Amino acid sequence: MTPPLTPVRSQEELSPRGEAPPPVFHNYLRAFYPYHPSCDEGASTVTLPLNHGDVVLVHSVHTNGWADGTLLTSGARGWLPTNYCEAYDQEPIRTLLKALTNFCDLVRGSSSGNLEAFTNIDYVHALVAGVRILLEKTECLNRESATVQAHYGLRRNRKALLSDLSSVVKLGRRLKDVATGAFAIKAVENDLGEVILKAFKMVTRCVKFLDIWNEEFGLSQCIDASIAALDSLKVNAAVPPTPPADISLFGAVERRSMQQMSESGSSVTCQAASASIDGEAGGSLAQHTSNRPRYNRMSQSYIRPGTSQSMRQTSSQNQRDSRRLSCRLDSSLSLNFNLASERLGAAHDGFLGFLGSFIGLHLQSRSSSEILLTTQQAVTTCRTLLAVVEEVWDRDLRRSGSLEEARDNMYGRLADLVEAAQDVFRPARNGEEGDVFLPAEGKRLVDAATTCVRGAGECVATARFVIERIGDFEFEPLGLGISTFDRPETATETTSTSECVENAGGVVTAAEVAMMPQPTCSPPPPPISLPDEQSQPLLRTSILPGKFGEQSLSLSVLDEDRAVASHSFEYAGKVLPPIPQLNSPLMPSDDYIPSAQALFSSSSNSESPISERQSCGAGSLDISSTASSSTYVSQASTRPTSVDCSNQQRTGYSSMVDSFSGSQTTLSDDCENGEAKILEKTFAHELAFNEKGQITGGTLPALIERLTTHDSTPDTLFVSTFYLTFRLFATPIKFAEALIDRFGYVDESPHTAGPVRLRVYNVFKGWLESHWRNDCDSQALVLILRFATHQLSLVLPTAGKRLTELAERVSSVNGALVPRLISSIGKTNTSIAHYVAPDTPLPAPIISKNQLAALRTWKSGGPSVHILDFDPLELARQFTIKESRIFCSILPEELLAQEWTKKSGSVAVNVRAMSTLSTDLSNLVADSILQLEDAKKRAVIIKQWVKIAKKCFELNNYDSLIAIICSLNSSTIIRLKRTWDIVSAKTKTKLEKLKGIVEISRNYADLRRRLQYHVPPCLPFVGMYLTDLTMVDHGNQTTRQLPGDGNGPIKSVINFDKHMKTARIISELQRFQIPYRLTEVPELQTWIQDQLVRVRSSGQSNVQLYYRRSLMLEPREQILRPAMAETLESNSSGKDASAKDRFDLFGWSHLSREKQGLH
Amino acid sequence: MSQRFDSTASPTALVSGLLLDSRREYNIVVLGAGGVGKSCLTAQFVQNVWIESYDPTIEDSYRKQIEVDGRQCILEILDTAGTEQFTAMRELYMKSGQGFLLVFSITSLSSLNELYELRDQIVRIKNDERVPIVIVGNKADMEEDRAVSRARAFAVSQAWGNAPYYETSARRRANVDEVFVDLCKQIMRKDSATAQVREMESGHRRRERPNRHARRRRQRVERQRCTIL
Repeated sequence: MTPPLTPVRSQEELSPRGEAPPPVFHNYLRAFYPYHPSCDEGASTVTLPLNHGDVVLVHSVHTNGWADGTLLTSGARGWLPTNYCEAYDQEPIRTLLKALTNFCDLVRGSSSGNLEAFTNIDYVHALVAGVRILLEKTECLNRESATVQAHYGLRRNRKALLSDLSSVVKLGRRLKDVATGAFAIKAVENDLGEVILKAFKMVTRCVKFLDIWNEEFGLSQCIDASIAALDSLKVNAAVPPTPPADISLFGAVERRSMQQMSESGSSVTCQAASASIDGEAGGSLAQHTSNRPRYNRMSQSYIRPGTSQSMRQTSSQNQRDSRRLSCRLDSSLSLNFNLASERLGAAHDGFLGFLGSFIGLHLQSRSSSEILLTTQQAVTTCRTLLAVVEEVWDRDLRRSGSLEEARDNMYGRLADLVEAAQDVFRPARNGEEGDVFLPAEGKRLVDAATTCVRGAGECVATARFVIERIGDFEFEPLGLGISTFDRPETATETTSTSECVENAGGVVTAAEVAMMPQPTCSPPPPPISLPDEQSQPLLRTSILPGKFGEQSLSLSVLDEDRAVASHSFEYAGKVLPPIPQLNSPLMPSDDYIPSAQALFSSSSNSESPISERQSCGAGSLDISSTASSSTYVSQASTRPTSVDCSNQQRTGYSSMVDSFSGSQTTLSDDCENGEAKILEKTFAHELAFNEKGQITGGTLPALIERLTTHDSTPDTLFVSTFYLTFRLFATPIKFAEALIDRFGYVDESPHTAGPVRLRVYNVFKGWLESHWRNDCDSQALVLILRFATHQLSLVLPTAGKRLTELAERVSSVNGALVPRLISSIGKTNTSIAHYVAPDTPLPAPIISKNQLAALRTWKSGGPSVHILDFDPLELARQFTIKESRIFCSILPEELLAQEWTKKSGSVAVNVRAMSTLSTDLSNLVADSILQLEDAKKRAVIIKQWVKIAKKCFELNNYDSLIAIICSLNSSTIIRLKRTWDIVSAKTKTKLEKLKGIVEISRNYADLRRRLQYHVPPCLPFVGMYLTDLTMVDHGNQTTRQLPGDGNGPIKSVINFDKHMKTARIISELQRFQIPYRLTEVPELQTWIQDQLVRVRSSGQSNVQLYYRRSLMLEPREQILRPAMAETLESNSSGKDASAKDRFDLFGWSHLSREKQGLH
Repeated sequence: MSQRFDSTASPTALVSGLLLDSRREYNIVVLGAGGVGKSCLTAQFVQNVWIESYDPTIEDSYRKQIEVDGRQCILEILDTAGTEQFTAMRELYMKSGQGFLLVFSITSLSSLNELYELRDQIVRIKNDERVPIVIVGNKADMEEDRAVSRARAFAVSQAWGNAPYYETSARRRANVDEVFVDLCKQIMRKDSATAQVREMESGHRRRERPNRHARRRRQRVERQRCTIL
């Protein structure tokens, strides 16, 4: 059987490497015997020709012995016979291979639209770490080492692999710049493909290097590994095995496609591969032949031809495309293509390809003809998709309703898309100008396309679901009206497409390229030189001196407008802004070197009309935003404390950066000298990422390295998470030590030393200034002082001095040296309320002189005042002021590790005060109602409380709102039937509405939605955050395992994801820590406080007390008919309780068992 | 753009949403003193397999579908962890529940004593002595620190109308599913019982005997259901 018949599942299932694969599964295989599908073998699938020594990244292994893998030498993917291969797992290269696996997963798991994964280049760092470990283990880390000096082959290979590594690093940087700056899909897709191929190439080099080294030195060390490998795959090297495939199944198709490939100059054909041995490989060839008799697989020196021309895979590397990468080579007539699921996938991919070009392309640069063409193509592909869906639906005997619905939705969405596309250029038809582009319409088009993407996704997922249920089936090759999706036809279509597009504007999107089945159509590999790379250091130097002491302002991009803003980003990304602009006061005054992100954000503001419109209204005030990824917050922690100090610093700092930029330029010139720069010491391989590329775990050194990385600003959430939670995973001493270590080991890589040292200093500074907790951090003080005086001051004298000062002051001052801004710590969102000019007068309190006088006489022992005496709004305001004051003083440390639930010695005083206040308020509501004998009067009080609750809601005081509603809704109050009969219908409806707002079901879904985009001032319900924090703490482990391949020992690292989640919840709470602008009425405050204290003094038994009072006021109806109650009790268990309540009048607090006894 | 591949997630929700109608949904409230490990219990139950990262802030964080007696039902769990000090809120939580897990820690007698008040409150709010309740002695893995004897816990169970008692270990994931399933069964039984009663009441009162029998039988079953690790 041929393998491709079965693995037609989704990609997610195809890559199980992350989650503890079975022990026999190896990520990498190496061919020890060449496998060339002979020419009369056809292809019902793509088989990879293997050369002796090829290393393959395995995605899955079919039970029949074929493996789905990617050939590292070419990047080609296909099926290969595992019995021609052996596991490749040698200790020195293990880390590198693991890094490569993770990297591939990352690339595959992300799409061009989801670039967050590439905003940092940790994955590249992990590769660097892997190479470094390889060289360390082979004792070749230094060029001067005896091993390297003595062996020409090693030297050559070492040099080559370092240059490969350097180009990977460079590409990674470029990708990062693109990812942080723009949505430029075309560039990114190329880059993604390129970077992965470069990484493959580099790893191939490393494999070769290791082979040579093994040849010379490593035999003995590798014996264990080879034995293990032999065990895992029992193969007889002496007898060439036969491929597991049933040869007779191969048709003539393969041959044809092979011809096509060789005609088109592809490098993967066997002839080309074995024949093209470049000069470099020649050396090892000699060794290879000389060693021929000793056919030992592990000591073998494998030969790979140069692989530079294997770039045709660059087209697109997103999840789906990469799955079909190899299929694209020659699947033109493959049989299995007729499988429903396969067709579905292909049609979906095709459609997404066109939609992608819709959404991603910079619309302004497109002409109407282009858009119309793309629309046409999108419609065609969508029809194909829908035809497949129809067929699936047809086959389903049950006629899945959901599929029908999804399909109909899809039709509707497609119609919308077409309409939107037409609208974009409607004005153009009227006027003379050909390309009038309306941004609003463009946005609509993008929206429509996005909806289509979603619709298609739904459609396909539902269809898959149906297919799974009814079983996969094959389409008839002809007929059924869906034969439109024949490969050749598509080919011509796309070719013409690309021609048209090229004519129109010279824009060929990557997505379109991906549609082309012929490798000849692929673009040539982009040049390696990076213009951005050189200009960046220059920009950095120019920014730095100017920014100290400047007013800090944070610019944020509204999340909702991201799609629009992204266009401007892209624009800014293409043309780097002129240098002077960067001195604009819009730069965050951050000691960190601004990343490209920051550059783009500021330039987009000044250049792009769209985003300017967004931000000009905001002027100098902050725009509230919930998108942590797109906000740039200036942090108190990294801010210079005083102007004079920063002036002193300035000179040292800029000179530091000067040298940095200097070394950057030389880096690109001379690889030989740049060795140390490429091979920086790094712990990046000890980091774990999620599918979005966010760090989810790591060892302390690795996390510290991220915190102090030289090449990008760590995002604010990461930094604040660190400050907030580091005490949960490291002691202050360990934290300080790790920072100091980082300061030390960066010495080895001089080009990064400057920025890294400054960052280390900044982390210390931020810690001491704003996040110091004397109670627990003081133990690290000695360490910090020693570091400041002995290490830091040698390199950065002013910084050393400053740190010493801080360390000395911090022990004497209690609390933060630099008062945190309003909730600055851990804050990832800027969120200042609607801007109110400071001279706007506060609203005048609604309180009359008489009322004030009454309050004063009450205070001096006069007659008591009543809640009805005051205006509900003013009462609500005073409650809000009271509560807001406590809420705003909640410190983040109160919210960590369930501090607030501690029985004794809790530091969470404010959190506790919040819960006390909220409980007191509830009790006050009940108390004020229940103290009245007259039902009419009670009804009036209820009305007053409903009014107050309404006003609380209008003031966005959800905490008080919930407290009041809870009480009004409690069984104690709600059972007062006579009272409620008197309450007006109007009040009741009002109350019902308010109840709806504080609905707690579905995990507070309604309340959360309400709070999500809420603009402060606002008092959210604190309990919700407390529950979230508790569940995060208990629902996530403290450590996590590094994703491994099961070969090496499993490493447990800090589960940073848990801490990030904690920090995110805290920052969400802090977003609202902004005081209300309301006038306090001291007299009223005193009275309220007095009332609250009064109800609190009755203690824990409140609930029972009120219930008893409630029963006395309006006794249960059953009690009026005791005889009836008795009989009911003996008969029906449901009524037991009502009878018992009678006894509760006398002994409610007794245990129920005793109650039964009493009874 | 980021929706592009997220889009595959929503349709499955859509599909399951459409299938929902035929399934039953029950609200379960988890109550107990702070620090008894309620939230661990809930978290363990909700994430049936090891989840890389658990996010409690999304709507579905506390929903789980299980099969009980061959029927699919969805449990919506309300865990009040962290808000124990908001005593006024308790009623709000209790109101929504159809069944209650009363959790204490076998290492703390006071945590058991705190359950009395909670149980009384539940009975009062629900106006039903036989409201579905499961008593859970958590932290069963810390046998050496045991402060509540099984006999004592059983006594409580008997006093509360033979509410089943389980000892669980959220840490070792022992008996976690069982407590939720048991509670779910109770709710389902109650559901059908009330339906029966309603039927009988409509068909005039001739219930004396069979009803009592049914109750005895139920009690017997419940007595057997006290489960220890």
